[in-house]
Amino acid sequence: MRKFLAVLVARIVRKTSRATGQGSGSTLPGLLAEKIDPNIISKLARKFPKGIVLITGTNGKTTTAKMLAAILNKAGHKVVYNFAGSNLSRGISSLLTEHANFWGTKIKGQMGIFEVDEATLPEIAAKIPPRYILVTNLFRDQLDRYGELDKTAAIIGSALQASPNAQILLNADDPLVASLVKYNKNVKYFGIEDKISTKSKRAIDSKDCLKCGHELKYSPRYFGHLGIYKCSKCNFVRPKPQYFLSDLKLEIGSSEACFNRKDEKQKISVQIPGLYNIYNALAAASIASEVDIPINQISYALNNVSAAFGRMEKIPVGNKNIFILLVKNPTGFTQGIETLSYDRKLKNLLMILNDNFADGTDISWIWDVEAEIIKDIIGSVIVSGIRAEDLLLRLKYAEFNLNKITLEKDLAKALDRGLGNIKDGETLYILPTYTAMLEIRRLLKNRGLVKGLME
Amino acid sequence: MKQKIRIYHLYPDAMNLYGDLGNIITLVKRCQWRDILAEVINVHIDDKTDFSDADLVFLGGGQDRGQRTIAQDLSNRKEVIKKEIDKGMVALTICGGFQLFGQYFQTAEGDRIPGIEIFDAYTLAGKKRLIGNVIVDIAHTSTEWQTELNFPTFESAHTTLVGFENHSGQTILGPKCKPLGYVIRGFGNKGDGGYEGGVYKNAFGTYLHGSLLPKNPWLADHLILMALFRRYGSVQKLQALDDTIEINAHNAATIRSKTAKTVSI
Repeated sequence: MRKFLAVLVARIVRKTSRATGQGSGSTLPGLLAEKIDPNIISKLARKFPKGIVLITGTNGKTTTAKMLAAILNKAGHKVVYNFAGSNLSRGISSLLTEHANFWGTKIKGQMGIFEVDEATLPEIAAKIPPRYILVTNLFRDQLDRYGELDKTAAIIGSALQASPNAQILLNADDPLVASLVKYNKNVKYFGIEDKISTKSKRAIDSKDCLKCGHELKYSPRYFGHLGIYKCSKCNFVRPKPQYFLSDLKLEIGSSEACFNRKDEKQKISVQIPGLYNIYNALAAASIASEVDIPINQISYALNNVSAAFGRMEKIPVGNKNIFILLVKNPTGFTQGIETLSYDRKLKNLLMILNDNFADGTDISWIWDVEAEIIKDIIGSVIVSGIRAEDLLLRLKYAEFNLNKITLEKDLAKALDRGLGNIKDGETLYILPTYTAMLEIRRLLKNRGLVKGLME
Repeated sequence: MKQKIRIYHLYPDAMNLYGDLGNIITLVKRCQWRDILAEVINVHIDDKTDFSDADLVFLGGGQDRGQRTIAQDLSNRKEVIKKEIDKGMVALTICGGFQLFGQYFQTAEGDRIPGIEIFDAYTLAGKKRLIGNVIVDIAHTSTEWQTELNFPTFESAHTTLVGFENHSGQTILGPKCKPLGYVIRGFGNKGDGGYEGGVYKNAFGTYLHGSLLPKNPWLADHLILMALFRRYGSVQKLQALDDTIEINAHNAATIRSKTAKTVSI
């Protein structure tokens, strides 16, 4: 009875709030539904025939969820998945009530796919409970908000421990993620087995052995602290993955690889560039394999996925192009720059550094970005945002040619200048922090270049 | 002959939490731009290291795991580091590094993790995390840093440091350790907005990230000068650099620290 009432109230509130234009109806219905029936999430979550997968980790949650949804959709399974920004409990209850039938006895979907912030994972996992939990990677991100990386790992670990029936999927190439097996033994791994290695010189986040503190040796290192590692002293070693990619071919516009599982292999290609997006494709393909999607369907679907909001997103502006590459942390930033340097053409950049709460208020991390990688192929750079001066200073110490850099605090002017710097057919690469990306998006929307603020 | 300084970067893997590397980059570039060679030697656990040939040591902040891992190795080097600091070796220690250069760190459970006793200072675990932008006044404290030289190492106009603090430990100074400066904006060592950091001879400790040195080039230059003095026994004024971009970033951070919120959680 409570469940019925919760679903009904949520439905009414959603309709009213959308009809009156008061809001998108993405959290209030869920908030009320949970007030009426505190167990509403678990009651509805149980209705998915293929269960629920929770995707967490620092980078790649949104893109992995999007890719997995695309694979399942192409295979004919309807899915329910949350969008960035509504990954708190009330966002999930909103979404579930929206997709429930009138009586709350059925859910319109085969599988639920939810990206969940590391910090809220224990709460959500306790409410749902999930059939699968996947951890993409752990990088330093907005440290001032979550504390330290080891603590984040421990938080995720507590959720894994409290989910004994879930199948856990872990990134074998990330030592901190792989070590989460100590919390729950029901683990399968995914990883990359290839010879490619990074131009970057630093594995900044987790280079010391988690068991004994000695240095981890990588051969090769793909990016950040991701790679095939083993401890120089003790027996800590990268686990062998059940799902892996081989034969990687990375280009500035797309990537190719071979996806391997059990006795099968299949070429996949992804139109969203960057090594980390190939990791996202691997993560999505691994879960899809868990729910028995044929390997050729996985490949077909992945080929047609476009970038998630601001993640390597390409937007045409007249005869020119804008390419938006969200940067949230040193490893993501360094990887983004490395992707731009896959070819040696001169690049025109607009870099925007904000220090609002959602960006992380501490900007020290820009000193861990290996900006040096791209300094020799710079056509022009505009620096903007609340901390534009700090960004300029970082580029000075990376020995960029200062004559090619302009500081423009006003973002609208910076965007105009950036587009003015390029000719028809050329691309302006925009590297914004999170709130800067929202501002850019608003500017583009006001100019009629993109439709919504969110996807 | 080209002048040089030798920098020992202690535990660069375990102890680099909040852009600490920016400090090394700044020291190296500001030397290079003046045609001074800056050699950086990374020191890891168990490495054999001769501190008598080091002009400047740097130790950044780490996570709890990183700090626990290196604490024993660092304490094995306690006597040699202490001896060289007393002979004028320069040191810059940030956050966890600052704490480990003190007498001890007392955890919430009351356990004491020993430090290497360079600074007459001890740290107590705090209940709150102190997070936010900081401005520190060094106008008075800095006048005592340059007694051995017959010229000031930086202009009197440059008397603030800006940075970002993120710590829960509260560090209390004893009589033999002077504060680095006084907090204009932010929490400081004890979270009370009083003093910040610690100084003993040429050893500096602070909670300021940011990174610290890029936006405070006068402190970077002071460290370089004292490192040259340590190596050569006498030293000339450093060649002036165009610091417009550094000063703009310093000033922008000062303004930002007045509008951005600080939090203690």
